Amino acid sequence: MNVYQPFRVRVEEKIAETADTQTLKLRFLDEDVAKSFDFKAGQFGEYSVFGAGECTFCIASSPTRKGYIECSFKTVGKVTNAMRDVEVGDVMGFRGPYGNAFPMEKMHGGNVVFIAGGIGLAPVRCVIWNVLDERDKYKDVTIVYGARTVADLVYKRELEDWGKRPDVKLWTTVDPGGETPDWKGSVGFVPAIVEKAAPKADNSWAVVCGPPVMIKYTIPVLKKMGFTEDRILTTLENRMKCGIGKCGRCNIGPVYVCKDGPVFTAQEMAKLPNEF
Amino acid sequence: MSTTTFIRTGDLKGLVADLRAAGVGVAGPARTSDGAVDYRSITAFDDVVLDAQPRNSLKQFFLPPTEPLFKYQRKGSDVAILEISATFPPRVIVGARPCDAAAVDVLDHVMNWDYKDEPWFGRREATTIVTFACPGGDRSCFCTAVGLGPDATRGSDLLLVPAGDGYYVEVVTEKGKRLVDAYPKRFGAGAGVDATLSYREKARASVEGHVPARPDVIRQWVQEHFEDPFWADISLRCHGCGGCAAACPTCHCFDIVDEPETLTEGTRRRNWDTCQTSVFTAHASGHNPRADQCGRCRQRVNHKFAIYPARFNDILCTGCGRCARTCPAGQDVTEILNRIVAMATGQGGAA
Repeated sequence: MNVYQPFRVRVEEKIAETADTQTLKLRFLDEDVAKSFDFKAGQFGEYSVFGAGECTFCIASSPTRKGYIECSFKTVGKVTNAMRDVEVGDVMGFRGPYGNAFPMEKMHGGNVVFIAGGIGLAPVRCVIWNVLDERDKYKDVTIVYGARTVADLVYKRELEDWGKRPDVKLWTTVDPGGETPDWKGSVGFVPAIVEKAAPKADNSWAVVCGPPVMIKYTIPVLKKMGFTEDRILTTLENRMKCGIGKCGRCNIGPVYVCKDGPVFTAQEMAKLPNEF
Repeated sequence: MSTTTFIRTGDLKGLVADLRAAGVGVAGPARTSDGAVDYRSITAFDDVVLDAQPRNSLKQFFLPPTEPLFKYQRKGSDVAILEISATFPPRVIVGARPCDAAAVDVLDHVMNWDYKDEPWFGRREATTIVTFACPGGDRSCFCTAVGLGPDATRGSDLLLVPAGDGYYVEVVTEKGKRLVDAYPKRFGAGAGVDATLSYREKARASVEGHVPARPDVIRQWVQEHFEDPFWADISLRCHGCGGCAAACPTCHCFDIVDEPETLTEGTRRRNWDTCQTSVFTAHASGHNPRADQCGRCRQRVNHKFAIYPARFNDILCTGCGRCARTCPAGQDVTEILNRIVAMATGQGGAA
């Protein structure tokens, strides 16, 4: 068995998040792998549909939930189209976990602010559930999540749960024009809602993921509030094949997303050359 | 290992015959049907051509252009994964060039970076590299600028240098020693190192000075000039064909794809790839972090002379010059490196 050979996983659940976004719940076929498989929040893997190929996604479920993994993806290319077409019970492949992780231990005892846009909630959701499953280890939890329209919001059932929890402050928003008549959330772009939510920066960490333009305008807002760059965390993605530093395509200048990332601080991001 | 021995030309022919008789595969630089010289399987030492640099490098013996990783078979919703045999038949490469032998050693770093690439190391262990000191190169050669030379031993198990009626043999590794010990009658006393000196000096003189031996200067300039008009300038010549990467002994980037063979079964393969095409980094969304040829040409130089050195304290180039000889547009790595050194040392940008 070489390092490129995946574990076999069975599709246990298939959830249509939006018109073009799905979530798959995958359980390891091999009992021993299911028992021993472990990962850290923020790590990624290579998912495959045999015959279509492999694709890179973060693990969207939390490491506190054992025996299975979930991934959420938008249907855009060859493999994601094949993944949309799999059925519950089908066998797929998974290699991983790869890459670094969010510094959960360092965040213990601090406030955590989650900021996500669109499908960018997938990697953030992993950390959200990690925090909520060990809720007593963290202080205030704030979630700001936005999408272009109400129809583009992912994990709607979980947003509802988080909204009901007294120990979570949830802000959902859609871009102006994206609201429906019965929309109860905010209307406006994510950076503006972050300003409105005004989480305190003292002893706080921010986990940010979404479209580049959202990240670009959110980081200055956080810095203005007093967040330091080493406590603003994000996760990057780039096209990958191997996931383990050999195939040579995910590097941004000298930085390998697969080995040095996918989790980076805003401080590290600021040093990256303009190649992502 | 620093022992030496000697092999007569007649015994070298005999050694190849002995190896073949023992069921060991032998490869070396030999004429192809179209008259070129490639590293390929040979049946006798007489096939070996030593006075021309082979078109290909040794790369394909360790990282084949296309390689099955495993096979899959669907049965209804289930899938079986069939492993590919990880045992590799023994092989001896006779007549490797020092630049090509060194390249394999350079690539060991990345192939063992936290995760061991088993097919690579399986072939590495099964292969003995018998290198012949290079007789000298052309104007595209610059091995001495990257810490090597026409008689460098790096990556070789044995290094042979012509002397008298045969070859002076430097036993470089344990594996090389095992080969010598396995055929003791083929090796023996002969001309000493002194008899090899003029050959070595002549070869070195033919490649020296083509590129300044300043890898640290090149590395620093590249690291500090990610944004520089130089990259756009050199990229104007590039067609993005990736011929340089295919010919290169150290370019190792690969793609992983599924190749269905029937409706229910197929093979996952890895295939050589190149950073010189736009699809290499293109996201499915349409976004491409390296959107133009400028970024791709920079990546190739950056990876070889700055990124790899920063990661592994080694240069991802052995100065073989194949990229310059291969390029249909005349992109010349020696010109690129000369211009970088000139800019870094304040001597203008002209080649």
